[in-house]
Amino acid sequence: MEERVGQIWDKWITKLAYQGYPEAAVQLDDVKAALGVFYRGLGGDSGLTISATTPTLHRARRNWLHRVAGTGSKVELAWYDERCLYLPQRLDVFPQAELNRELYFWLAALAGTPATAEVHLGMNWLVDNQQRCLQTLSLYPGLKPRYQRLVDAFLRLRDPAELKHSGQAAVLSAVYQALREPGSVTELPADDFAPDPVPLWLHPNPPRAEGLHSEDNGKDRDSSQGQSKQGEQRRRQAERVEKPEENGTTLGVRHEADLFSYAEFCQMDRGSEDEDDLDQAESIANDIDKMSVTQDSTPVASRIKFDLDLPSAQEDDIPLGEGIRYPEWDYKRQVLLPDYSCIIPMQSRNAQASDLPAHLQTTARRLRRQFEMLTNRSVRLRSQYDGDELDIDAYLQHRTALATGKGDDGRLYSQKRRLQRDMSCLLLADLSLSTDAWVGTQNAEDDCQVIDVIRDSLYLFSESLHASEDQFAIHGFSSRRREHVRFNCLKDFGETYNDTVRGRIADISPGFYTRMGAAIRHASALLAKQPAEKKLLLLVTDGKPNDLDRYEGRHGIEDTRKAIQEARSMGLVPFCITIDEQANQYLPYLFGRQGYTFIHRATQLPKKLPQLYLKLTGKLLEH
Amino acid sequence: MNNLTTIDTSAAGSAAFYQPQGNEEALFMHAYEHQLPVLLKGPTGCGKTRFISYMAEKLGLPLHTVACHDDLSASDLVGRHLIGDGCTVWSDGPLTRAVREGGICYLDEVVEARKDTTVVIHPLTDDRRILPIDRTGEVLEAPDNFMLIVSYNPGYQNVLKGMKPSTRQRFLSMSFDYLPAAEETAVIVHETGVDEAIATRLVALANSLRELKDQDLEEGASTRLLVYTATLIAAGFDPLQACRAGMIEPLTDDAQTVVGLMELAQATFGAA
Repeated sequence: MEERVGQIWDKWITKLAYQGYPEAAVQLDDVKAALGVFYRGLGGDSGLTISATTPTLHRARRNWLHRVAGTGSKVELAWYDERCLYLPQRLDVFPQAELNRELYFWLAALAGTPATAEVHLGMNWLVDNQQRCLQTLSLYPGLKPRYQRLVDAFLRLRDPAELKHSGQAAVLSAVYQALREPGSVTELPADDFAPDPVPLWLHPNPPRAEGLHSEDNGKDRDSSQGQSKQGEQRRRQAERVEKPEENGTTLGVRHEADLFSYAEFCQMDRGSEDEDDLDQAESIANDIDKMSVTQDSTPVASRIKFDLDLPSAQEDDIPLGEGIRYPEWDYKRQVLLPDYSCIIPMQSRNAQASDLPAHLQTTARRLRRQFEMLTNRSVRLRSQYDGDELDIDAYLQHRTALATGKGDDGRLYSQKRRLQRDMSCLLLADLSLSTDAWVGTQNAEDDCQVIDVIRDSLYLFSESLHASEDQFAIHGFSSRRREHVRFNCLKDFGETYNDTVRGRIADISPGFYTRMGAAIRHASALLAKQPAEKKLLLLVTDGKPNDLDRYEGRHGIEDTRKAIQEARSMGLVPFCITIDEQANQYLPYLFGRQGYTFIHRATQLPKKLPQLYLKLTGKLLEH
Repeated sequence: MNNLTTIDTSAAGSAAFYQPQGNEEALFMHAYEHQLPVLLKGPTGCGKTRFISYMAEKLGLPLHTVACHDDLSASDLVGRHLIGDGCTVWSDGPLTRAVREGGICYLDEVVEARKDTTVVIHPLTDDRRILPIDRTGEVLEAPDNFMLIVSYNPGYQNVLKGMKPSTRQRFLSMSFDYLPAAEETAVIVHETGVDEAIATRLVALANSLRELKDQDLEEGASTRLLVYTATLIAAGFDPLQACRAGMIEPLTDDAQTVVGLMELAQATFGAA
């Protein structure tokens, strides 16, 4: 009974203390796509993705209701770093949904407008935001009425009594003044508490400003693919701290004042999941105010991984040659690092010549028939000016036209035209360790690993293309740092598709990481040597580029993008097929909106791939 | 802006108005004098076609424009026998006509045409400057005032089309791009008569849209679309509605992108 009363009280008081307007809330997911276009159009960094932010602690004074209810100590504010633009997951600041929606766009505009040098220094939150406002409003005069509307609505929500009785009267009125007339306030009156958070401004101290050595070495890995759902894509607030003494305690209460918070420091490798119960780990992560992350110079986990993963030379695939060096794009310095990564072409050691697996026979037979038709397809065009046969219908029409005194232009022939295909295709498959993951569908029988899906796709794709007589090659790639980018040759352009190749496909196995840029560069070089007129570079993958060193996040994405641009300038047509649900966040930046496709269920890939190939090359059939 | 004054605006009604981007006029004149074929590259609607009409007018040459398409074959360019009442008549195609009469033959978006067309233009692009016509047994020699111009848009990456290097290397090439903001504004004011403030904002919006190329949009907003939009505004349409019909809807079919672009238009134009 006591507990029940407590729950009701908690619900009631929390609701009472809550200052938002949930009935007018606007969700980030609903406006995200349009917001992205808007943000990039204003000049915002197009490499950034939009993501939900996490509540952060603020040190402002709380009113008595909040104190009683124990809420109001956290706030969701907008900010950005070099990877994402973070916005609140939902906005319910105003009682009108339209205003909340406008607020999203206003925040995006504030973040997207190119900032002046002063603002970049990020010295003073107050001056910073006012400067940004001024800049945004002067560049985009159309935003003025909207800003005015937002400020008016915001000030209307504030209780004038609050201003009078609050100890913060001076601070508040300065902030309101800054909102009303951006640029007019240079300093806040001194106060024990931080000023109230202002939802119309960007985060006072986005974690990007401080940070120890925020060298962005790809230590923090994004959530592993395929497992996280939309709602969980929020960022946790994190701080970088110095690594604690080795022999000191690994568990220390850091926020003594917050009695009810979890705060601990434990040495763990984020590359692997220590917590068995992921849901519980997740909920703890949600409750922790701040996660502390440190840079450890000894890559323990990765070192172990090497030892476990790398087979001995006798066991490993046969390297074909010393390795070929390719440059890598350093987006921070905007230079190509020459000879940075090393591609090692390899061929399977243990592959045994084998047949097509039984479960693919039927599909393969059907696809072969379809593709065979492509080679012999020819069309007869009627009513042509010239041709090899007389078109009787057209001739009759012509005679009739003459007889009735009407002239026509004399298209009397029919012409047989054989459809020519002069194209080469290179299929590049991601064989990184992530393809070891399982993909599930509704019924457990369909469960399979990504690598199986990729293997089946390679089979069907080869069967189809072999039938169509198009030139094609198949390669797989994985990597272990820049010095070891494995490039598995499954079928070269010169080879015929036969049982040996099938054996190699059967032998592929997942391992290592995804240094996509280097692999694309090598594949482009191979494909560019082909004499065909049209050259298609198909990439089949299950996620973002990543590797153990800094090839992670933005660095990997930018390098891959550069490699794709290079491929285009060589006259190749790159196209990506992905099974990563989050692909629409970054693939448009890499391949352009038309340059990729997402397969909803991984198990569709084997059947979809040949169809897609037909569609992509379909244009050629008309010529 | 200075260039604008050098154009005789009194004749603007009849002569094509063209805003130079760089040294393209000098290059073109050189190509004409030395009988070199010219290749123009550049995004849709940035002024390639307008440049050619302007130069044709300036040089006093007849202009034969062929808009190339999927089905355009060699015989469409060269000509064919037509059947008349009891006889066949040879009819020249636009290319043959240009070679016979002299003047500029302009193959717009040449990569769209079928492959056999490139074979026809090859002998015209080297120093022989001849056009053999198999059907009639003729070999036409191009006169001094004949000029072959082709254009294409390298931006279309999806269409699996490109120009063969062997063909590309036969031409003197020029790259066109959208005009710098101030000059594009001047063009719009000149073409449509909207006031300069509106034109400035239109150009600013267009430049924002161009930033989105390849990621959110397939193609940036062309100067042509800007002129359409300005015409709508000049005719009294609400600027936002004009932007939607003239610039945003033509660029994308994706509903969410339209919403984002409309917000952008609103931020640029205000109102509402």
